[in-house]
Amino acid sequence: MNIKAIEERSTLMQAMRSWFSQNGYLEVSTPLLSTNLIPEPTIANFSTRLISEFMGERELYLVPSPEVHMKRIIAETHRSIYQISRCFRNREQMGSHHNPEFTMLEYYTVGADDEASIGITERLLADTALEGTPEHVLPPFRRMTVAEACHTYAGVDLDTVQSTTRLRHEALRLGLSVGDEPESWEETFNRIFLNFVEPNLPQDKPLVLSEYPSRIECLAKKIPGRPYRKRWELYAGGLELANCYDEERDAQVVADYYAAQYAILVSQRSVTGEVIPDIDLSFPAIFDAQFPQCSGVAMGIDRLLMLQGRHKTIGDLILFNLSAMMADGH
Amino acid sequence: MIKAGQIDKGTALLIKGQPFICVEREFVNPGKGSAFVRLKLKSPSTGQVLRETMKSQDNAEDITVEDRDCQYLYNDGENFHFMMTETYEQIEIPMTTFEDYQFIMKEGETYRVTFWEHQPLDIQVPAKVVFEVAEAEEAVKGDTVTGATKNVTTETGLVVRVPIFIKQGERILVNTETKEYLERVNR
Repeated sequence: MNIKAIEERSTLMQAMRSWFSQNGYLEVSTPLLSTNLIPEPTIANFSTRLISEFMGERELYLVPSPEVHMKRIIAETHRSIYQISRCFRNREQMGSHHNPEFTMLEYYTVGADDEASIGITERLLADTALEGTPEHVLPPFRRMTVAEACHTYAGVDLDTVQSTTRLRHEALRLGLSVGDEPESWEETFNRIFLNFVEPNLPQDKPLVLSEYPSRIECLAKKIPGRPYRKRWELYAGGLELANCYDEERDAQVVADYYAAQYAILVSQRSVTGEVIPDIDLSFPAIFDAQFPQCSGVAMGIDRLLMLQGRHKTIGDLILFNLSAMMADGH
Repeated sequence: MIKAGQIDKGTALLIKGQPFICVEREFVNPGKGSAFVRLKLKSPSTGQVLRETMKSQDNAEDITVEDRDCQYLYNDGENFHFMMTETYEQIEIPMTTFEDYQFIMKEGETYRVTFWEHQPLDIQVPAKVVFEVAEAEEAVKGDTVTGATKNVTTETGLVVRVPIFIKQGERILVNTETKEYLERVNR
């Protein structure tokens, strides 16, 4: 057991809580066990059974993120909120950077957009960093758009490869084997991104990679007139550390996202037999005219601790991590 | 054929007609996207390293391999020399492919070697090995800080960071992958 890691986690959590408190955020606590989840086809879920004497039995799900419940709180309070909570992602392979159960910091800033959130996140990390945090994990952040990164490291002009066929040609030009099965634009994009772009991203400082392609569906607003979204990811030490959306507030767009993504989820998981969670069809209606402009950031705390404390694997940070428990034969 | 997601450390694959061994694998799902697996593959004959990131569902060509017991004799700075215990046949394996193994394997000990059509692809070393401490720095007097460490050298030449109470001649259990000290082994 790594005692130093336990102390570091305790110190960082205290520093973050007081930072959020000083900056006007309300700490909230939302369920880990839920009757419904956000439909995200690529995130496999955990389910469990509720047994009630009076209400019979039903399936419940462990949340992959606290997003839907937190957005309901914003709809009610119109306040900036944060939470440090556990998240559960199945099929999240156990390894040096993953554990199926992990700690996420999620904060929503009312009145802020994706751009303002970069500064907020820089201040948060600068003000709360553990003593001895290496330079490459400390602000200021470097900045680059996804299009710039694809152009620089893969020679791909994202503006002009918006069709699945054209992107596939680019992947083949780069010597990637794209398989015979038809695949989505996003999957081909990720092949190019993971083989050519991500390994070459600068690592001397944290990097904000902004403007993700709008072909990658998510609840971040689209940038008007350009094929990108108001979304960024923070990389540090070669790892994805945080994800930010300028949150979509158009109830119809959210409803369409729910319907389309759930259809994909159900069709894929009916074949694989994986857990198909219920979704809450009343969720999109929370985005009425009063729902405030806000940006949301989700940050992997275990990875942040790993980088700040110079640990080699996430196993040092997550006590009794699943791979260790399983290796012990339990 | 094997799904990329099932490739593990030690899995042997045929890539453009050449055998490669997976030496590292890490799962990635970029931006909440679908699952990919990032592989580091090494050619046992040339030491060439390939880095490839594939979708977990992609197919890869795996090859059937066979494990045989081989006794490690010595290294000449370029090759490890082994003797196959069944046939007494001697084989050579380039050292470049197996970084640090010269500091982990003990002369005279028997290891499982993975073969593909008579070509040795992989040497299997146990995940944890007991070593004898051949050289140990003296702990600095008065250095009683909890968690203080020092370097020792094992009989195989491996340098390991250990707690200061470890002395020359004692035996220690070491994780051969991370080269980290695990515990003192009592006689």
